[in-house]
Amino acid sequence: MPAFYGILSGGGENDSVPPLQGYWRFAWQGRHGANSLMFEQRAVVVNLGLFGALLLASVIYLSLGSVKVAPMAVLQALFGNADMMASFVVQELRLPRLAAAVSTGAAFALAGILMQTLARNRLATPGIIGIDNGATAFAVASIVGVGFSIAPPAMALAGATTAAVLTFGLAAGSGTQGYRFIVAGIGVGAVFGAVTQLMLARVAIDTANAAYPWTVGSLNARPSGALQLLMFGLALGLATAMALARSLTLLRFKDATASGLGVNVRRRRLEVLLLSVALTGLAVAVAGPVGMVGLIGPEIARSLSSSRSVPVLAATLAGALVMVLADLAGRTLLAPIEIPVGIVTAVVGGPWLLWILMRPQRSFT
Amino acid sequence: MSQSPTPTMPSLATQSLGMSYGSRQVIDSLDITLPSGQVTAIVGPNGCGKSTLLAGLARLHKPDSGAVLLDGADIQRLPTRQLATQLALLPQEAVAPEGLTVTELIRFGRQPHQGWLRQWSAEDQRVVQHALAAAGLEQLADRPIDALSGGQRQRAWIAMTIAQQTPLLLLDEPTSALDLGHQIEVFELVKHLAHHGRTVVMVLHDLASACRYADHLIAMREGQIIAEGQPAKVVTPDLVRMLYQVECSLLTDPATGCPLLTNVRRIQASN
Repeated sequence: MPAFYGILSGGGENDSVPPLQGYWRFAWQGRHGANSLMFEQRAVVVNLGLFGALLLASVIYLSLGSVKVAPMAVLQALFGNADMMASFVVQELRLPRLAAAVSTGAAFALAGILMQTLARNRLATPGIIGIDNGATAFAVASIVGVGFSIAPPAMALAGATTAAVLTFGLAAGSGTQGYRFIVAGIGVGAVFGAVTQLMLARVAIDTANAAYPWTVGSLNARPSGALQLLMFGLALGLATAMALARSLTLLRFKDATASGLGVNVRRRRLEVLLLSVALTGLAVAVAGPVGMVGLIGPEIARSLSSSRSVPVLAATLAGALVMVLADLAGRTLLAPIEIPVGIVTAVVGGPWLLWILMRPQRSFT
Repeated sequence: MSQSPTPTMPSLATQSLGMSYGSRQVIDSLDITLPSGQVTAIVGPNGCGKSTLLAGLARLHKPDSGAVLLDGADIQRLPTRQLATQLALLPQEAVAPEGLTVTELIRFGRQPHQGWLRQWSAEDQRVVQHALAAAGLEQLADRPIDALSGGQRQRAWIAMTIAQQTPLLLLDEPTSALDLGHQIEVFELVKHLAHHGRTVVMVLHDLASACRYADHLIAMREGQIIAEGQPAKVVTPDLVRMLYQVECSLLTDPATGCPLLTNVRRIQASN
């Protein structure tokens, strides 16, 4: 990578900092002394690359389908001067679904990397520790009308929270680290999965059909309002996660080390956990349990990034990219039959998980 | 280069400190003052509460009663970050994220001094270079932590705490997994830090090393202090028997003047 030492402005003794390899540093004289910002070169390149790939995938996503729209026409439709047909297909049919794919993929992956960092375990994603299933069970309950019917997003959030609380309770004070937490989560997830199936088995077949997308994960039946709520939550969640990035980097160490370096470990943990659970609940409310993205997105981000920090943004972008590609494949591969995105990610994610388990052990912490 | 962390040396003490580990009360109303600018070693049998005491001093565990005082102020009331500029901690068996290099690890020591708009300063750079040099790691600066020997790795962790520039340094069994040569590397570094104005407190399970490298010894049994002072003055066959249930003879090391344990053996049942 080319050496580039950032902008040194203001002069003075404080600014004569020898370059730190692999970083771009921007320094200026602020009102309260010398200020400096650091950007890891590799992270900048990775994030830009993933963002570019996401844009490209999005254009292809908008262009392919039962009605093909040429990429140029897609761009024209987006900026408002295309023929009626192209405009309708792109803006009315595909764009909302693309938005759903991007936001759910991003939210699942962000929730995933947060939970993995919290648990210091690469397997500890919300999908694996049962939070997806909890959210799904509650959302399905509200659809099939078991007694109460609050909007699915609220129910999904409540379900995600319930599953998280149960998992913590069953991990019995051993905290978020170690296998006890993960095993407890898998158990909680299995119970919620069974409850979901039971509810579907007991209702009329039409109602069960209506709830079916929820159980596999699909972008076909997006509840109104849930997407807007997710986009709002994602923006807030991503900003918070970026603000916590420095603490997250230190949370990878043992508690004692992180605490010794000035991180309020207990409080940060709680914040990260709440964030992860909320993002999962909001994303499940839109797409159902597509938790595999929470595993794949962070994994891609980590393999591209250095180990200096937690690649929060890269994981988010990678998750969005995976979701867009998976839904694109689901829509087009067997057209006119549509494969739910949850099935596509499971087909890809299952072998991926096996590969993670079987390749030579690299500890995450 | 400013070597000493701060001009005034803060004092660390406990005031009728009581602490539990789980539901078991481990320490009950303990009063100690840690001598500034010296190496203090806390020794005692397994389960005597020495690690719990260190966790209390570092604010990792909350006391049940009493307080840990930093310059007379209760450390529970200090913001975490502020405490991290006063007191550095090296926990037992610290683990670094995979692939991190020595310099990258040491840079984390600057964390408490940094902020959103103060991410990397000339001062940070100087201090990290100094820490690398002090720990004798210049040649290994870009080596991944996983590729180091045990002694080098431990020195890298200590270098991180050096970069933290705290007047106080707490170490939990810093040499427990190291062979003799690597132990000496670490102890000499610790000694060097104390000579340059740091107050060092370390938990040790090896009484011989404590005698050799500590200026001040705190011997604990069942949560109580049974002896405290200069090793040459407080280490006696009686003390060793009370601590570890073994008999021994004591010599003075002709080379260093430190107490030397010899002929260590189990107490005979007939007595």
